[in-house]
Amino acid sequence: MKTKVEDINRNIYDIKNKDEYEFKIEKGLNKKIVEEISKQKNDPDWMREIRLKALETYNKLELPTWGPDLSELKMDNIATYVKPKTELNSSWEDVPEDIKNTFDKLGIPEAEKKSLAGVGAQYDSEVVYHSMKKELLEQGVIYTDMETAVREYPEIVKEHFMKCVPVNDHKFVALHAAVWSGGSFVYVPKGVKLDIPLQSYFRLNSPESGQFEHTLIIVDEGASLHFIEGCSAPKYNKVNLHAGCVELYVKDNAYLRYSTIENWSKNMMNLNTKKAIVGKNAQIDWVTGSFGSKVSMLYPMSILNGENAKTEYTGITFAGKNQNLDTGFKVVHNAKNTSSLVNSKSISKDGGACTYRALVRIGENAQNSKCSVSCESLMLDDISRSDTIPVNDIRTDEVTFSHEAKIGKISDKEIFYLMSRGLSEEDAKAMIVRGFAYPISKELPVEYAVEMNNLINLELEGSIG
Amino acid sequence: MAHGKSTLANVILNNPEYTKTKGTVEFQGENINDLKTDEIAKKGVFMSFQTPEEIPGISTMNFIKTAKNKVEGKPVKVFKFKQDVQNYMEELSMNPKLINRNLNVGFSGGEKKKNEILQMLVLNPKLAILDETDSGLDVDAVRTVSKGINMYKNEKNAVLIITHNMRILSELKVDYVHILVNGKVVKTGGAELVKEVEKEGFSKFKKEGTPNEN
Amino acid sequence: MEIKVNETPIRTSRNFLINNLKLENIELPKKLKSFENVEISELKTKKPSTKKLKYGNGKILEESIFENANSALKIETQNEDIKIKYNFDNENLELVNNIEIIGKENANIYIEYISKTNKPCFHNGLIRTVAKENCKLNIVIINKLNNKTNNFEAIENELHEKSKVNYTIIDIGGKTSVTNYYSNIIGEEANNDLKTIYLGQNNEIKDLNYIAEVRGKKSEIDIDVQGVLDGNCKKNFKGTIDFKKGCKKAKGNENEFCLLLSDKARSIALPMLLCTEEEVEGNHSTASGKVDSKTLFYIMSRGLSYKEAVKLIVKSKFNKIIERIANEEIKEEVLQEIERKLS
Repeated sequence: MKTKVEDINRNIYDIKNKDEYEFKIEKGLNKKIVEEISKQKNDPDWMREIRLKALETYNKLELPTWGPDLSELKMDNIATYVKPKTELNSSWEDVPEDIKNTFDKLGIPEAEKKSLAGVGAQYDSEVVYHSMKKELLEQGVIYTDMETAVREYPEIVKEHFMKCVPVNDHKFVALHAAVWSGGSFVYVPKGVKLDIPLQSYFRLNSPESGQFEHTLIIVDEGASLHFIEGCSAPKYNKVNLHAGCVELYVKDNAYLRYSTIENWSKNMMNLNTKKAIVGKNAQIDWVTGSFGSKVSMLYPMSILNGENAKTEYTGITFAGKNQNLDTGFKVVHNAKNTSSLVNSKSISKDGGACTYRALVRIGENAQNSKCSVSCESLMLDDISRSDTIPVNDIRTDEVTFSHEAKIGKISDKEIFYLMSRGLSEEDAKAMIVRGFAYPISKELPVEYAVEMNNLINLELEGSIG
Repeated sequence: MAHGKSTLANVILNNPEYTKTKGTVEFQGENINDLKTDEIAKKGVFMSFQTPEEIPGISTMNFIKTAKNKVEGKPVKVFKFKQDVQNYMEELSMNPKLINRNLNVGFSGGEKKKNEILQMLVLNPKLAILDETDSGLDVDAVRTVSKGINMYKNEKNAVLIITHNMRILSELKVDYVHILVNGKVVKTGGAELVKEVEKEGFSKFKKEGTPNEN
Repeated sequence: MEIKVNETPIRTSRNFLINNLKLENIELPKKLKSFENVEISELKTKKPSTKKLKYGNGKILEESIFENANSALKIETQNEDIKIKYNFDNENLELVNNIEIIGKENANIYIEYISKTNKPCFHNGLIRTVAKENCKLNIVIINKLNNKTNNFEAIENELHEKSKVNYTIIDIGGKTSVTNYYSNIIGEEANNDLKTIYLGQNNEIKDLNYIAEVRGKKSEIDIDVQGVLDGNCKKNFKGTIDFKKGCKKAKGNENEFCLLLSDKARSIALPMLLCTEEEVEGNHSTASGKVDSKTLFYIMSRGLSYKEAVKLIVKSKFNKIIERIANEEIKEEVLQEIERKLS
């Protein structure tokens, strides 16, 4: 909102600002850069238009006035984050030691390590991916990278791209829409129920993916899908801004489960946006584990537009030294008989900060809706921080709504009990923390659950006791 | 009620909630005063809890296996271990499903107590301290618990039963009875002491315990 | 003029519409004559402090209090009941008050705001309380202003070692009723127990911003808010328990329940738990919904009409909090006012 005073001031300062403005544009994000990206991607005209319009929006929007400190991002120098990176030929030697060690401890094969570190070429899993692709093709499922989808399925993409997440949602969404690159596209036709989960893991190996990647998933009427994004080994990226976007469409009677284990290297600013639009009798379940990054601002959102639509969110956030992880869940109930179930857990240690930030909105037309939220935060020491900031906005009376949150430390009694059976203090604490995280790990496929447990052990190693 | 029976158990296991003001705890000739709880457990001391903790997210089987690995100091043979656990559970008339449930979560009072006895049998300690294991149990459950204790007991180990109830003792062949009043052992005797208490109650020992501090 | 009040201690997304309350067309009284129609049991009063508040209702309202207060009191408690009753009438429509209570000895303190006129009234006030060591204070604030009145109250507490402050806020009046409550719990084993009922109807706005900073070891804060919304009423409840470093073994509980009697009413709640200390226990819960149909059916099967049954249920929600008012006369008046509002 502009006030009159500012309007008058404009005239006085216009001349003075001119130079500065041009300087900013040079360093900031400009048309030239976006067009360059678009050209390199072989964008059709309509996609170039979207990018350029998003650029305008980006330049208008301000940084959030809330949440973690983003001053480390040099917004005046944003071009360096988004310019096509021909010069970015990182090498295995550049990958930080602690990440290499983590790969080893998690038992990740050599080829995968290099790929996760963003320095390797395509590896063996490509074969797996191809054979899977054939099976999917027979059922009419489309699973491809986003660039290919733009070229080969323009109608579907045009109808859905940046429609679930509006470009003006916030500054980093606008940035994303202007410079997006890579990501997955999935279309599951009506009635097709996929038994095995699709994993974007297999696609993370192109050099630029995993920074501004766009994920677009459409689960058509009556269809069902489990999609897994990322993995628990730390993904290393030289460039430390991640502004991805995930758009999910769950049509009437469809089901989608979207699982993420996010473990960016600890230099990353992870400003990701994820939303799902859910139709009649449809359901989306989110399973989210956030372990990595320096700063995260991540709040998956379910928009329940159809009657009887359902959503569940199961999330865990684990913040250690120098980490500020601001995560949570947003749900908007827009139709009758909709329901949501939220189960969030967080662990803070070694000075790390966890924030659960959330929104529940039950709209005027969402009679007979239900929502139940449970939040638990564990503090592992007294130098860490744990905040719970949930907004509950109820706009109709025919609702059942409840929210519960707890904060505290591991109970001494529990530790003593486990120690009396021969576990060391460290083992006892690790076991209790794993148990605390169990409601999330049980929602993951076994191999991911095992990796997540290894990750928790790793994170706890030497830090307690 | 508060005569220090449970305190004794907690102090032996070095529960950090309790502070030792004087004296030492020795086990098999070794001063274990300053050992941590898990180190004491590894020496072969076991304590069954009055109200065992409920710990979500950890299956009972997984927990007992981890504990067994720790006290043995080497990984157990999984197949034999599972079979042993099953056998013990059968002997204790435990619902076999409990083993896959989260540790003590949602267990009834009796199920929790049996779970403690099960852990005692599996971990096979040198000294088992049973803190009010019989309290709140019905006659059948007390009998089952006694059965477990009899299965465990042999010449090489020892059991310290903490109770204010004579019932559980009738099923067991006790060697010594110590009566603890206000933190002091006021009387030590053989099994005949049980009969004496059954007949006359505790009050006469309480009188003995209160006046002088020698 | 337009003013923003009740900023939350920590901001969240602007789209969530809760960071503050924006009010338009608020006219602040300029030159005020002294507020005459006030009954005060305590006569020896001094000048209250004009120290800046940590939170409060924003600069504009706060400065107005320090500059223009037409009722200013400083009371040092001495083992007695203190009653302050502001009666708004046609001659006394605007009250800007500054009350400072120094809790030296135990006391029961009642502060009431009552409209005895149908004209729009205005209240902008500040109640500052210091509870010294071992002091126990029971403070009851009652807002029975008419539904054309804007009511602003800023409360600031300071609790020292082993002090106990029971605060009871009966917020059942006003067109717009804004309460900012800040407790600084400094002392070891200090205990602050805050209980509130609110009743909002028609187009009224209720904005409650409660902040407790827990600093003392083994100190406690307990916030319990029971509310009822009818008509197009809009309510924002912002409750923050902030465990500061060093408050080992402190406990904090926060609970809000909002009963919705209309599908047009709107209830927003932001119950925050902030924590930088390990050894604490913090819990919060909020819930909202309409009257339970089983309970309703049960009561109606005994011969009560729908309206009577709802009234009974509302009163049952409020009763445990109203029970805390030790003065029978004041309690009875509150019950009557609720009865009148629900009829």
